[in-house]
Amino acid sequence: MSLRHLLIITTLFFVSQIALAKKQVSIAGYGGNDVFAMKLLLEETLKEQLDAKNIDVSYFAIESDYPKYILNALSSGNAPDAFYVNTDVAQSWIKTGQLLPLPEILTTARSDMQPRVLDTFTHNGRLYAVPKDMNAIALVYNVDVFTDAGVDVPNNDDDWFDLKRKLQDVVDTLGDEGVTGLCISSDFNRFAPFALATGWQPFDQNGRTILDSHFKRAFSFYLSLHKDGLAVMPSDLGQNWGGGCLAIERTAIAIEGSWVAGYLRDKAPNLLFGSTLLPADPLSKQRGNLLFSAGWAVNKNAKDIEATLDVIELLTSVQAQSTILSSGLAIPSSLSLDTHPFFAADAPNNQLAKAIQLGTLVENTMTFSFGDYGNQWLDPIQIALSSVMLGQLSEAQAIAEAQAAYDAMYQRKGENQ
Amino acid sequence: MTLSSSFKHNAFGWLLISPFALSLVLFFLYALLRTIAYSFTQYDLFNAPQWVGLRNYVDLFTDPLFFRALINTFAFSLIVTLVQTSLALLLAVALNAEIKAKGFFRTVYYVPSIMSSAAVTLIFVWVYQKNGFLNQLLSNVFSHQVILIAFTICFVTSQITLVIMGRKRHQNVKWADPFYALISLLVASSLTLFLTTSGLVEKQETEVIVSWLGTREVIGPLPLTLWAIVIQNIFTTVPTLMLLFLAGLQGISDDLYESATVDGANKWQQLWHITVPQLAPVTFVVITMGIIGTLQMFDQVALLGGGVPLESRITLAFYVYHYAFPDGTSPQIGVASAAALVLGAITLVLVFLQKKLGVKEQGNG
Repeated sequence: MSLRHLLIITTLFFVSQIALAKKQVSIAGYGGNDVFAMKLLLEETLKEQLDAKNIDVSYFAIESDYPKYILNALSSGNAPDAFYVNTDVAQSWIKTGQLLPLPEILTTARSDMQPRVLDTFTHNGRLYAVPKDMNAIALVYNVDVFTDAGVDVPNNDDDWFDLKRKLQDVVDTLGDEGVTGLCISSDFNRFAPFALATGWQPFDQNGRTILDSHFKRAFSFYLSLHKDGLAVMPSDLGQNWGGGCLAIERTAIAIEGSWVAGYLRDKAPNLLFGSTLLPADPLSKQRGNLLFSAGWAVNKNAKDIEATLDVIELLTSVQAQSTILSSGLAIPSSLSLDTHPFFAADAPNNQLAKAIQLGTLVENTMTFSFGDYGNQWLDPIQIALSSVMLGQLSEAQAIAEAQAAYDAMYQRKGENQ
Repeated sequence: MTLSSSFKHNAFGWLLISPFALSLVLFFLYALLRTIAYSFTQYDLFNAPQWVGLRNYVDLFTDPLFFRALINTFAFSLIVTLVQTSLALLLAVALNAEIKAKGFFRTVYYVPSIMSSAAVTLIFVWVYQKNGFLNQLLSNVFSHQVILIAFTICFVTSQITLVIMGRKRHQNVKWADPFYALISLLVASSLTLFLTTSGLVEKQETEVIVSWLGTREVIGPLPLTLWAIVIQNIFTTVPTLMLLFLAGLQGISDDLYESATVDGANKWQQLWHITVPQLAPVTFVVITMGIIGTLQMFDQVALLGGGVPLESRITLAFYVYHYAFPDGTSPQIGVASAAALVLGAITLVLVFLQKKLGVKEQGNG
């Protein structure tokens, strides 16, 4: 073999290796259940399609302080090619200019998703993230507690007072055994469905927050559960959230999202639970709910944008969402999966998924997103709730202080613009 | 010394300090200049900084949260520095005395310092929970308060009686005589046992439910939450400072104490007139470190989590972080930089004042 032949063969081998080399795409999201979900998608459901496109995907699980990690990584130029973006940070991240506006073809392909969530990920008419899942708040109850108390379990026809009556009956019967109605905290997420059910709008047309009579009615009802001895704070039962109280079987109900399912599976595998919509406001006859979602966004400086877009398209496909739904890990963002058989089954996880799916469709929903205010917007309401629960302020004083805080926030925003 | 040898001498010196000098220039001087520049701009880490002049400083001094952070930081710094310095000195003196198992006690007292701040904070979060250790302890104390008062009265009465009787027989019996105190302890214990078993004095169930962390209550100059952090911070810093004092105590000549003893000085007089002045250089270091450390209090405050109202836990260092990484909105690096510079200036001024007006670097011995 001459030197020339050797050179040709070596060059051909080198070129073929480059051609065969897989395209590398790095993606990042949360730890916990998401690690399992991504493993399922990347190594099983989507493996064939990824191999066909010659793409190798690496998933980086960020266990804590996820938004700060991504923000730092973006500012230092070390961000992964694609990453989760939550509804609450979506607009501020889009404004950094670091997210790639998604191409029309992908936007059109994903137009069957919950419109409110798509709006949150949209800026100036361009979509910047594809929702990978959805979540909302449902009422989760301990079936055995209601059976033992001889009380009907909560259902989709209940209003606030029906629920309160049922909880009162449970406490009257099982209170001596240490069972109470529910754990409530000052967390806005659990209170919001009640406030929204009244027709209260968190922002008026000027972007200002007014704690009006609708809000006051919801505030009063929510706190009456605590005042009337039907609810305790999670710390009273040595827990730090409502799901924890339900898991130790000390409460009849919990107001939680689908995340409670995994927790109950691990901590209380024998607990038989059911789920239903949150009760309606007896006056407005309507319900409220919060919509949560994480979307896949693409780094503007991704190494291989085409391959990254392919990965995002696959991860948010109906096939991928169907797999995740069937394994009970998340509720799909695609409305075309509303008739999926999973929602029709009667097992606890299926019931919870159905309640959450219905929860996303109730009259007064709001995405978990507070625009330019960021999550600091939550503070005045949460402080007002905790001040009353801790007996530090009356309801009227707490609302007045919260309103003053919102006025100051609005004024400051105006000055900064 | 020739020019060449002088140059070599200087070059060798520069070589030795170059790693530190380089890191100082890179990570301090450069960072400081960038921070100063950013403090006059509106900057979100991504879009180009926009010059806003003094607006960030004006915003800072019109923000009520900044003043809350300022007051919290000053009060926190003053209280913690005073208490931790005093406690560290007393502990060091106690552990420098000729006591049995001195090494064991020194090790035990030093343990909190080697624990990570995160671990200590988590332990204290548990201690401060509504049904946590502290409330349980207080509930127990208050439930037994009548019994404790009865015990104290019995003990004091017995001790006074014994000392008065002793003084009739002998001279110079002290009020805190340990032998009489032991007898009084036995007498008080027996009497209290009799009073409780006979039902004359009873335990009264009292439940103390203090919300140490999730509250906006302000006690004196500080929110209750920061008082809780004061205790936690003192717990973690005293051991290291105690070690510095212990090292300082080794350098004080025994001759001084012997002379003082011959002159009739008691232990307190020796502490006040010999130990404290002789330790002045160490005390200067301890106070300076204390001021700097407390003014920059961040980790323990941050680890308490979002469950605590912001104004109940905010310090200047946390204020900087709060604006650099606001939750769910764009970073405000300009305001954060301005606040960081104000914090730096306050630290410099306080250390300078402490150097000029407080404990001096030089002892008088």
